[in-house]
Amino acid sequence: MKRPGKVCPICEMGVRVIDYKDERTLVRFTAERGKILPRRLTGTCARHQRQLSRAIKRARFLALLPFIRGYAR
Amino acid sequence: MKARRYEVVYIFDSTLEEAEINRRLERFHALLRTEACPEPVTDVNHWGKRTLAYPIKRRETGYYVVVKFETEPQVLGEFERAIKLDEGVLRHLIVIDEGAMPAAIRIEEVAEEEEEELELDEEEEEEVASEVREESEG
Repeated sequence: MKRPGKVCPICEMGVRVIDYKDERTLVRFTAERGKILPRRLTGTCARHQRQLSRAIKRARFLALLPFIRGYAR
Repeated sequence: MKARRYEVVYIFDSTLEEAEINRRLERFHALLRTEACPEPVTDVNHWGKRTLAYPIKRRETGYYVVVKFETEPQVLGEFERAIKLDEGVLRHLIVIDEGAMPAAIRIEEVAEEEEEELELDEEEEEEVASEVREESEG
């Protein structure tokens, strides 16, 4: 995850529209505490990064992903 | 008005009986029916009980239901109001269904526009970079 590949990992998966309900994929793009990782670390393309940030925010609202991991538990 | 595809995710109180949840779903979905869309609901997917990533209304678990439907936008207000008034629903989210085919075509159109924009951005960046270089030389 730390070294960006040449192509966007989401393009590589062949996904056109990111699903906000697929939290298993979304966690890969969040940091230890649940922050959204920047493009420079994950290597996602601009379009997918925008979709990703929206999907993660929706998933957080639905309690599929935490806003802050390891908080109040 | 034209019908659109939507998707709604409900998080029900997990202490509710399944029959109780189904009754509520029927009540909500009856509100979506219009003359243009006599059968609004296209897909109902019960995820069942899941642990929440953080507590909502002091509850640690919720019963998730994902429903795809097609209806006219003007009935959504009344639909959402009914959900909000229901104490058994911990949380809900209504979104436009982008996984559908018409949306995919729309996204491709957007993608083409974006590519053009990107090219413009690169040109601008070059200009800025050359200006910076000139300044540092002078």
